[in-house]
Amino acid sequence: MNRRMLTKEDEDGVGDEIEVRREDQDKINKFSRLHQHELSIEEELKLKNKEKEELDDITTELELADEEDIFPYKIGDAFFHVPLPHAQEMLGISAARVEEEITELEDKMGAIRDEMTQLKIELYARFGKTINLET
Amino acid sequence: MADLQARMQTLSEEFTKFQNDLQEAVGSRQKLEAQRQENLGVQKEFGKLKADETIYKLIGPVLLKQDRTDAESTVNGRLEFITKEISRLESHIKDTQAKIEKKKSEIIQLQTSAQAAAAGGGKQAVKA
Repeated sequence: MNRRMLTKEDEDGVGDEIEVRREDQDKINKFSRLHQHELSIEEELKLKNKEKEELDDITTELELADEEDIFPYKIGDAFFHVPLPHAQEMLGISAARVEEEITELEDKMGAIRDEMTQLKIELYARFGKTINLET
Repeated sequence: MADLQARMQTLSEEFTKFQNDLQEAVGSRQKLEAQRQENLGVQKEFGKLKADETIYKLIGPVLLKQDRTDAESTVNGRLEFITKEISRLESHIKDTQAKIEKKKSEIIQLQTSAQAAAAGGGKQAVKA
């Protein structure tokens, strides 16, 4: 119901409108793109962390298992019967892979956030209260 | 006049918040229903099992053998919890819906009194 982002007083307080130059619009668009990337990486990270948790759970479970046991291990859509050490090895490889993917994603996330902070500084410097970059 | 606008703003903010609450609650309720159906399905399968058949649980990529009694009690416990959560959410949903209706009438009331005041003021200006 409320379509105003600034109250009447705030709007009067701002003074003359600052012109939006081409470079300003580019920065705004870039900020928006970066934000979308950030959200999608956050989703991916959530999934990867869940995967990692599951791998950790099963690794712990297997430590308590009988050395002689055979386990059905899922590869694609099929299950293969593997002995305990084999299963543990494969789990270790998967866990290491997921860890690497998580680190990669977190690095990307950090870079994106740094860029966004820099753009915020530049845009707030130019537009002050008339722009809202809070997510 | 500004007072009226401020009041109207507060009311519409509260209204929006209630609507969002309702949406969230309904979403959670739907998720729970899906979980309930899934667990009911598992329970049914357990019921069909013969004494010598084994139950496996998929943890990560590995199918681990489960103890029959443990598995059954886990599923039953989960179903109990889900059913409780569903009824809690349903009463929360009803409450929120009532709050929304009440807020709606508060807003309409304010709108009509604002219009009456404006009309009254207009008549006064003409008279002067």
